Parts: sequence; structure tokens; C-alpha cells
Amino acid sequence: MEDKKVSLKIDGKVYECDAGMTILEACAKAAIDIPTLCYLKDINQEAACSICLVEVKGAKTLLRSCVTSIKEGMEIFTNTERVRNARRLNLELLLAGHPKDCLVCDRNQSCELRKLAFDMGIREVRFPKTTKTELPLDATSVSLSRDPNKCILCGRCVSVCSAIQSVKAIDFSGRGKSSKVTTFFDSGLANSVCVNCGQCLLVCPTGAIIEKNAIEEVWHALSDPKKFVVVEVAPAVRAAIGEEFGMPAGSLVTAKLAQGLRKLGFAKVFDTQFSADLTIMEEGYELIQRIKNKGILPMITSCSPGWIKFAEHFFPGILGNISSCKSPQQMFGAVAKTYYAEKYNIDPRNIIVVSIMPCTAKKFEASRPEMQSAFDYWKNKMALKEDEAFRDVDYVLTTREASRLIKEAGINFINLPGEDFDEPLGISTGAAVIFGATGGVMEAAVRTAYEVLTGRQLEKLDFMNLRGLNGIKVADIDIDGLNLKVAVANSLSNARVLLEEIEEGRSPYAFIEIMTCPGGCLGGAGQPIPTNNEIRLKRMEAIYREDKNKPLRKSHENPAVQALYKEFLGQPLGEKSHHLLHTYYKKREGVL
Amino acid sequence: MNRVALKGNKISKASLDRAELDRVISGYAGKPGRLLGILEDAQKLNQHKYLAQDDLEYIAAKTKVPLSRIYNIITFYAFFNLTPQGEHSIIVCRGTACHTRGSRNLLDFLINLFGFKEDDFSQDGKSFLTTKDNKFTIKTVACFGQCALAPVVEIDGNIYSRMNSEKLRKIIKGICLRRNKK
Repeated sequence: MEDKKVSLKIDGKVYECDAGMTILEACAKAAIDIPTLCYLKDINQEAACSICLVEVKGAKTLLRSCVTSIKEGMEIFTNTERVRNARRLNLELLLAGHPKDCLVCDRNQSCELRKLAFDMGIREVRFPKTTKTELPLDATSVSLSRDPNKCILCGRCVSVCSAIQSVKAIDFSGRGKSSKVTTFFDSGLANSVCVNCGQCLLVCPTGAIIEKNAIEEVWHALSDPKKFVVVEVAPAVRAAIGEEFGMPAGSLVTAKLAQGLRKLGFAKVFDTQFSADLTIMEEGYELIQRIKNKGILPMITSCSPGWIKFAEHFFPGILGNISSCKSPQQMFGAVAKTYYAEKYNIDPRNIIVVSIMPCTAKKFEASRPEMQSAFDYWKNKMALKEDEAFRDVDYVLTTREASRLIKEAGINFINLPGEDFDEPLGISTGAAVIFGATGGVMEAAVRTAYEVLTGRQLEKLDFMNLRGLNGIKVADIDIDGLNLKVAVANSLSNARVLLEEIEEGRSPYAFIEIMTCPGGCLGGAGQPIPTNNEIRLKRMEAIYREDKNKPLRKSHENPAVQALYKEFLGQPLGEKSHHLLHTYYKKREGVL
Repeated sequence: MNRVALKGNKISKASLDRAELDRVISGYAGKPGRLLGILEDAQKLNQHKYLAQDDLEYIAAKTKVPLSRIYNIITFYAFFNLTPQGEHSIIVCRGTACHTRGSRNLLDFLINLFGFKEDDFSQDGKSFLTTKDNKFTIKTVACFGQCALAPVVEIDGNIYSRMNSEKLRKIIKGICLRRNKK
């Protein structure tokens, strides 16, 4: 049945296509890109925008190609006068109500509506704006900002939030011309179950959802001579930021990025990969301890802040399963303002930590009130007052925001020869790079856990069955006769499956990795737009390429991490680690 | 971008007895489309004929329907009220048939009768006006489906057909007289 073929004509030529395809898919096979605004394969097929119209012989009206299945003998016309006029008219009607501030819009360079208007030859807006009132901006969230006036009601954000993330923080409200996308009682994202993952932002065709921008604050800090501003860069950023400068997806720009950031004026250019290696030390030992002491299993990774808030809302009963390790971003901040400050004799109050993340939820994570371990560390030693409190990570920039800093500074990114990260907090191994891809934290942890548990060298470092874009990946890992059953989930709807197994007491796993975003951090909401599966795979290849090329590929071999333990922390899970590198989670009220 | 930011203030506190609400919810157990029935009953139970935010949160938790979905539903149907209503409701149909037979005049008549300003009444979305003494609420609906009898006005659940302002005045006067006798 699967290979049943249908014969049809598209613009006069005969094609054989698989039965069950939509007209849109069949046309793509025939190298015809039908314009769409609301369509997202398998996620949003609501036929809301009416841009993808085609003419079909015998049909009374024009048909929406995204939801119409092909039939034997169908004759489709994609470029007739009637089709062009109808598509244009529908687009013009959308443009009538849309703000015209494209020059200063965040999505100026990546707006699908703007591009479509250009491609379809719209050169004037014929219709007046029909909505008189301006809708209020939802600025409640520390990660995301929503401007319903720019929304074209395509429904992608609602579908992604529901189908991919199973969070359902937003939905349509009202009816007819008063329709809008909003939260319960318009109370704003911050007062909802929103986990700040920003996947809605990533699929939004316009500038209706954008990240909360911290660019000005970072410029300000960089211009302050009293401040010692350091930067940390997440693994997934180096495999994607090149796209912002016109490089092809999958370009690996680690050295250019380090140099570009140094040119911006950061005192030290460090790497979140350093603290990713540190995370593996803490998390690996935590796993070993839980297994040995018959602690709560499965243990679940804690690097992805969207997933953490998700658990606090929807699965408060399993918070004990989540590793108490802070994420690499937060470990970095805590180490920079304690160990590094002490070692180089810098007043921690003057250190500003800027992190560059592929993520919008990291902005929320950095703002969590408990994330000021360095202040707690210094409070007594320096007799600091409460109102002098500082965060471990001061500002979080997305990959996109970082590219804007570089552009504004006039740095010719593509032609930079490249430089290394600074020592010691810029030293990392291949195990840390792969944090950027789904399955990477698991793979990195297994590389270290194996060698720590057996005391022998791991021969095959690549765990191929933990890699790739599959929603849930499982594996049995043999550690000297000890069978470690592990699972990896990316996107929260997939995570939900594993979490329900735990809740019902039938989870067979000892260790689970959960990443909030499809593909892991490389598909995070801070990454260049567009982000789709094809691009995700290319970024993923780049990440594993970097791992292969690293001289050291296991976290416990990182000399800077070893020095950190020797000079400062003592040992993994020790007293200092407990205060600086570990955290706790709390049930969040008011939701299902 | 000097626009007003949303505030997360709660509009209304819990108003329904939880046991009563539980009875309503369990009454619909297993029935398809139960949420609409539950919401309808919850609104009737409320003495001000509206759905309070806390009650909705309770219903969401019990039925496992996301809050955003519940808000979608209650803002879609004109029947559901999100704020306290007057004791008597007057709903003017503003559908096409009623409009062509003078429903705008009926609405204007009511706006004047109760001393509102015309600007108070927004034609966008679900809007309504309630008198200061909380006795009357006037609102509009897109269509009652009684087009043959246009123009149509619903008063306290009863549909009155082929209305004019004189008839409307008499009915309202009747309500006031009955109230005064009590």
C-alpha cells in the first residue's frame, strides 16, 4: 500500500507521486516551491494563511495545497493569473493589519512575511488597517517578548507549544477579528506554564515573538573600565553562528568566534565547554554514587533549563530524579566569580559574566534567584551586604544577539583568521563539544563513567546509537558486566513519554538525558533562523567533527578541570562543589 | 516601544463552593464535550453569572484541560462571561438580518436609556456594559439564528422578536416594576 503511485499533471507535465502526498509535497518534488506562511510539516497544517492556493481542473474554487491530497489524474496549475491574484490578495489582506516598522524590527533579516511580500511583487499596501486598537505587548517573561500586533494568526507557535513541547502555554482566544494568540486570561508568559524554550519564536514567520534583548547592557558593561567582562560560549553556538554571516549551515567557526569576541573587548574569552567538562565530572560521579548507594534512579540530566521548568510544572513528583548539577552555564558563572577571581586576585563584584547561548531559556535560568552561589561564597569572606548581591551569570545573549554585536562593531567575521580561547576556563575536550547535540551529554558522561568505574581506557569513544535526530534513543551500555540502560529524549513531548514511565514506576533506565529542543541545543531558540531538520543535521555534523578533531575527548582528561579540583574544589561532589555547582528544584503552583 | 505591558493580576477570586463544583464535574464524567457543559453549569451557579479565574483553574486541574485551551473556549463563545454580570441581561443581536432591520438603533436606545456614552461600547470582541447599580448588563451577540424574526433581543434568557424601542422600553419598565414590588 505504501508504494502506491498516483499519476498527475502539474503545470502541464506528468508526474508520478506517492499516494497520500499533499499537492504542496507533490509540487516540491516537481521543483515548484509553493509559497506558505502557516505550514509546518507534521506540526501545523491548519490551512490558516491561504497563501498556498493552486488551481485544480474541475474544482470550483482554488485549493489550499498544504491540506489537499493528490488524486489520480489531477491537473494542477500553480502559476495562473487566477492563482497569482488570489495569493497576492490574501497576502495584501494580511499586510493591511501588520505594522510597517520593518526597518527596526528584530526579524528584519529573517521575516517570512517580508520576504514573501517582496517575492510576490507586492509594492504597495492597498488596504487600510482594520484593527484600531493596539494590543498590549507581553513583556512579562525574562526570555521572550510577544507583540500580538505583529501576529498573523498562522498558529505555528500554538502548534509547536502543544505538539512538540506538550506545554500548551498559549492558544488562540477570541473570535473573528478579535482573535489573538495569548495565555490564560492574558496573564502573560511569565505567569503561565511557558518553559521559555522559545520554539514558538523559532517558527514564528514574523517578529511577533522575539527574545528579550540584552545587547545594550552588554555594550554598557564592555565600555565600563572598572568591569572585568568575561564571556563564555556554549558548544552549539560555534556550529551555527556562521549562518548569521552568510556562511552555509554546518560551518564550524570556533576560532573565528573566539577572535571576534576578543575584538569586541571582552577581557577574557572563555568557553562553556570548560564547565561542560566540569559538569560531566560532577554528574558522572553523581550517577556512580546513585548506582552504588541505591539512590533514586533513573537519574536525569539537568543542563537544559526549559526541561527543568517543565518538570517543576508538570512532574513535581520526580524532581528527585533530576541530577542536582547546575547547567554548564551556571557552573561557569560560579567558578569564574570564585576560583578564577581568587586565583587572579580580581574583585568578584567587578567581574561581569556574559554567556552566549543557543537558547532563550538560559536567560530565565540565569535570573533564577538561587543562581548567585558566588555571592553567597563571598558574602562572609568580604563582609558583603545583601544589596550588593550579584548573579553568577550577568547577561545571556542568544547566538543571534552575539552576531549582532559583532556586526555592529564592524568585525569582518568571515575573514577572521581565528584565535584560541583563553586559559584556563577556555580549555575543553571533545566530550564537551557534543553537549550541543541531543545524546551528547549522555555520550560524554558514559565516556567518563566507563573509565572511572573500570579504571581502563575506553577503546571506542563514538556511541553511534546515541546520536541523530530521533525523538527517543535508547541503548544498553556494558560497563564491565554492569549493564547500564540509558535513554535520550529531545523535545518535551518525547521527554513526557519517558517521564510518565518513571511516574508509573515502569522506567527500565538508569540514566536519561533530556534536551528541551528538537535536536538538542543546536536546535535551540537562540540559534539562527531558519532552523529546520536539514540545518539541524548539518550543525550536528559540525559538532561531531569538532569532537573528532579535539586532542582530548574525555572530560576527566581536561587539564584545566583537573587543576580546578586540585587547586580549589578538592574532589567531585565535595563540599565546595555542593555549594557552587549544585542546585535544587521546586514545584511550581497554579498549573496542571 | 512605550506600550503597556501585560500585568499578571488575578481578575477575580474563587467564588464557587468546591464541593458544588466537584458535583458538576463528576456529573459530566465520561461524556464527550463535557467541558462545555461544565463551564455552562459553573457560570449558572455563580450568582453574578460569570466564570471566575480561580474556578477555571480548579476546573482545568480536575479535567486536565490546559488553561490556555479553556481560555480559548470561553473567549470563543459569546455565552460565557469573564466578569460579573448585572442581575438582568439584555442581549441585542447584531447579525446581518437584525442589523438591516434596525438593531443598531435598539442598541443606541439602550445605551441612552441607561446613561452610557456611545464610546463606552466597543464593537470589537466581547464587550458589554453594566449599570452602576449592577442591575442591568447590555451586550451584543453576532447572531441568535432567529433571522426571520429580526430584530431579536434576548432578555433574561427569553428571546423577543421583531423588536422596536417602544417594546423594549415596556419590557424593561416591567422588570423595574416587578423589582420594586419585591
